[in-house]
Amino acid sequence: MITSIAWKNVWRNKTRSLTVIAAVTVGVFAGVFTMAAINSSIVQRIDTAVNEELAHIQVNNKEFRSSSDIQNFIQDPEAVFNTLEKTPGVTDITGRVIVRGIASTSAGSAGVEITGIDIEKELEMFTLSERLIPGTGSYFGSDTKLNSAFIGEKLAKELYIIRYILTPEAFLSLETIGVPAEVINKLKPLEGERFTTEKKLTGAYAALLSGKEIKDYGMNIKEAAWSYREGSRIILSLLDVNGHQTGAAFRISGIFRTNNDLFEAMSLFVPEDELRTLTGLEEGQYHRVIARLEEDDLTNKVTPVVREALPGLEVLSWKEIQTDLAMVTDYINQIYAIFMIIILAALAFGIVNTMLMSVLERTRELGMLSAIGMNRRRVFTMIMLESIFLSIVGGFAGMAVSAVVIAITGHTGINLVKYAEGMEAFGYSAHLYPTIGADFFIMLTVMIVITGILSAIYPARKALQLNPVEALKGD
Amino acid sequence: MKVVEINDVSKTYHDTEVEVRAVNGVTLSFEKGEFAVIVGPSGSGKTTLLNLIGGLDQPTGGEIIVAGHRLSELRPSELIDFRMEHVGFVFQSYNLIPVLTASENVCFIMNLQKWPKEKRRVRTDEMLASVGLSDRHNSRPSQLSGGQQQRVAVARALAPRPEFILADEPTANLDSKSAESLLDIMEKLNREEQMTFIFSTHDVRVMKRARRVITLEDGRVVSDERTNHSS
Repeated sequence: MITSIAWKNVWRNKTRSLTVIAAVTVGVFAGVFTMAAINSSIVQRIDTAVNEELAHIQVNNKEFRSSSDIQNFIQDPEAVFNTLEKTPGVTDITGRVIVRGIASTSAGSAGVEITGIDIEKELEMFTLSERLIPGTGSYFGSDTKLNSAFIGEKLAKELYIIRYILTPEAFLSLETIGVPAEVINKLKPLEGERFTTEKKLTGAYAALLSGKEIKDYGMNIKEAAWSYREGSRIILSLLDVNGHQTGAAFRISGIFRTNNDLFEAMSLFVPEDELRTLTGLEEGQYHRVIARLEEDDLTNKVTPVVREALPGLEVLSWKEIQTDLAMVTDYINQIYAIFMIIILAALAFGIVNTMLMSVLERTRELGMLSAIGMNRRRVFTMIMLESIFLSIVGGFAGMAVSAVVIAITGHTGINLVKYAEGMEAFGYSAHLYPTIGADFFIMLTVMIVITGILSAIYPARKALQLNPVEALKGD
Repeated sequence: MKVVEINDVSKTYHDTEVEVRAVNGVTLSFEKGEFAVIVGPSGSGKTTLLNLIGGLDQPTGGEIIVAGHRLSELRPSELIDFRMEHVGFVFQSYNLIPVLTASENVCFIMNLQKWPKEKRRVRTDEMLASVGLSDRHNSRPSQLSGGQQQRVAVARALAPRPEFILADEPTANLDSKSAESLLDIMEKLNREEQMTFIFSTHDVRVMKRARRVITLEDGRVVSDERTNHSS
C-alpha cells in the first residue's frame, strides 16, 4: 500500500515530476554516453596496441631494451618458445629480429626500428596488414627481387615518399565527392604542382581559398592530392652482428596508417630472412619473442607465470610496455567513479529539491497521516520510495536513451577527424565507436537507487519533524 | 463503560511571550455510545481538548486515560499506534488522501492495521454503503463534493472500529443539506454500531442532535448538560 501511494504521489504533480525525470534522463545520458565514448577510445587503443603493435607478452634479452644492441639476442629462444607453448592461455607465439638503423631516401632520412618478422605468423597474430593504405601496394605481397619493407605513413612522409599533387584525377575525385566547382576552379592554378609536404600543400591552397572553404574541404583536398609512387625505394643503414656498417635498398611493399603517430614514424617491417642476411644473424636468433593470449584480461594472470618460468629474461606485458595506456586502463574505474559522482550529485540536487517541495506542499496531509496512525517508519518509507521512483524512472530513461544512442553510434562511429591530430599523436583513434559494458549499467542502476535513497533523507526527515497538530493547521 | 477519562487536565502554551492556558483543569469522562459535543467560543479550548483526548498532543497537567491507556505514559511512537488502534478522526477539511479512491481511503487504516484483504473489502463496502456512497468506490476525492468527501472521511474513521470518533467541526465546511445528511449518518452509526462520537462545534445543528453538550470557556468546563434528545 505504501508503495502504491508513493508511486501515485510521484505523479501528483506531473509537470514537476516529468521535469525532474527529464533532467535526470539528460544527465544520465550525457554521463553514460561520454563514458562510452571515452571507453571506446581506450578499448580501441588497447585493441590497436595488442593487435597491431605489441601482442600481450614480450620476452626480451634483459639488456636489449636499454641498449638495442644487435648482440643482445635471446640466448636460448627454443626454451622460450617451449615455455610459452606450455603456458595456459597463450594462443600464438612468434619471434622477431629487431635492429635500430636509419632509413633514407634522396630527399630525407629518419631513425627507425627495423623489425624482421615471420610474415605468415605475423599475419595470423596481428591485424597490421589491414591498415594498408589502398593504392600503396600490399603487405609483402609483391614479387620483387629487391628486399621489401612495410612502413608507416608518418615515416613515408618524413622520407618524402609521399607527395601531394593535384592531378586531373585528383580534381575529378574532388568533383565526385561533391566539392563545389567554384572551389575546384580556385584550385586550378595548383594543377600538376608537386608538394613535398602536407604543410606546403596546405599553404598553397590556403592562399586561394576562404577560411570556410579550407575548413570544409581542406581534408578532401589533402586526400585527393595524396600521391605515392608504388614500389618507391629506401635505403636502410645499420650495424651488422659484427658491428660493421651495412645497408641495402628496400622497395616499399606497402604503407600502413594507424592511429599511433609514433609507431607509424618509427616502425619499419621487413621479412625476417632478409634482415638475417643483411645483419648476419643466424637462424633461430631472436631479440624478442612475443605471445598472444586468449583474451586481454588474462594478461595480469599469465605474465607472472611466464616471468617465473624464464628467470634470466625480461618478460613484459603490454601494460608494462605501454605504461601510459596501462595507467589509463587501470584508472578507468576511477574515471568512471568521478563521472558517476558528477552525474549522481546533479541527480541528487534535483531530487532533494523536488522532494522537499513535495513534502512542504503536503504538510497538512502528512499531519493527517500521522494523526490517523501512520507511523514514522511508514512515512519515511513513503518519502524514500517516492524519491527512489523518481530517480529510477529518470535513470532508466537515461540508460535506455544511452543504450540506443550507443548502439547506433557504436555501429556508425563518431568521426572526430577534424579534431584528431592531437588524439592520433597519442595513438588514440579519431573514429570513436562508443561502447560500455553491462556491468557499468548495473553499477549505475545501483548507484541511482542509492542516490534516490540518500536524496530522500533530508526531505523525509523534514516530514518526520512535522508536529501533527501544527501540520493539520497548515495549508 | 468509560471510554475516556479526563482528570484535571491542563494544557499551557509557552510559545509566545504570554503564557496561554488553552485547557485549564478539565475533568470529564465519556461512556461508550455517547454522542457528545464540546461547544464554546473561538479560543475556548475545544480543539485543544480534542487533540489531547486523541493523543495528538500531551497535557501539561492532569491525566487522560483512554481505553485503559494512560496517554502520558506512552512514547510518541506508541501514541501513533494508539491513535491507529483506538481513535477515529474526522477533520473539518476532510483530509482525505487525494491520490487514493474513496474505497482506498476507507481501507487505509485497516491496511495499516493489517486486516486480511477479504475482511477489509467487506468492511469497506459496508462502510461506503452506510454513508450512502456505494456507487462512488472508485471516485477520487477531487471527484466528490464536500459533503461526499466528509462522508468518506467518516467511513474511514469508523471502518477499523475504533473506541471512539473525534470530529473537529465536521460540518463547518458543508452546506446545510450536506451537514444534515452527514449528521443523520453519524447518528445512525452511533446507534447501530454503538460508536462513541465526540464533536467540537459551533454548529447549532450539531448541538441540537447531541445528547450531551459540554460548554468550554477559557479552557474550563462551564456546563455539562445531558439532553433528552434521543436518536
